[in-house]
Amino acid sequence: MAKLYRSREGDATAVDTKTQLSTLGSEMAPGPLLVPTGVKALVGVIIAQCFNMAAAAGYSALIRLEGPGLPGGPEVFAAGTGGTPVATGGNGVNKAVLIPVNIPVTPSNEILIFGEMAGTDVGSITFGVTLVFA
Amino acid sequence: MSKTFTVEGDIGSADTRTLLTTQGSVTAPSSVVPSGVTKIDQIIVAASTEGLANGAQVYFLRLGGNAVKNGEQVIVISAVGRIAAQAGSDAAPQLMAPIVFENIDIAVAASDTITVAIEGAGTDTGTGHAVVTLIYA
Repeated sequence: MAKLYRSREGDATAVDTKTQLSTLGSEMAPGPLLVPTGVKALVGVIIAQCFNMAAAAGYSALIRLEGPGLPGGPEVFAAGTGGTPVATGGNGVNKAVLIPVNIPVTPSNEILIFGEMAGTDVGSITFGVTLVFA
Repeated sequence: MSKTFTVEGDIGSADTRTLLTTQGSVTAPSSVVPSGVTKIDQIIVAASTEGLANGAQVYFLRLGGNAVKNGEQVIVISAVGRIAAQAGSDAAPQLMAPIVFENIDIAVAASDTITVAIEGAGTDTGTGHAVVTLIYA
């Protein structure tokens, strides 16, 4: 079966706080991210993240996958790190990273995607996540 | 046999789906999927901003149109951030080398049209720029 790509994005604005990624740009309410029918596994997770550099601090970023679409239970992925010595000058871009995986899924059930900031509060982190099903 | 299709364009604001329809000096490249191919095998893509506004955002590639058999496919590409530069200094540039996604395996219908769009999400950080190559097989 051809691969299918499902995405969500959102901002994490507090440290050590799980934040659900539930929007998709101009789609403010895309609804639950359901495992497509006919697929057997989550075969990839594509993650991009960057912070707004609003505080002179550093962070680590995590992505958490949860929900009934994952019969094996939650999974957590390292999404990157960052920091800045000053809050008065910064500019950067991070390219997305594709993480190959093989995680069983339950079709027609929901997967919840969460972004989380760890370390020190840096202001906010914007996350984008794509789940690749096959 | 592989066949490429490349488009580029500017992205004016966040939360807005922007079609990429030009290719530099070629202002209207054909978006018809070549005959004899069945899938997008690889994607080469980059997107960043000029960094003229404070914030952070992510960019998505949205592939749609009649040629994409299983409906629109949305893939995250990059994330950017910017805070006001220090007085008297120059802000660092945003430079993004392209990502090459291999074995992307998106089913397409030959001889039908595909739409390639970019969308930023989050806080607008200024005009964005994106370039995308689809490699059909």
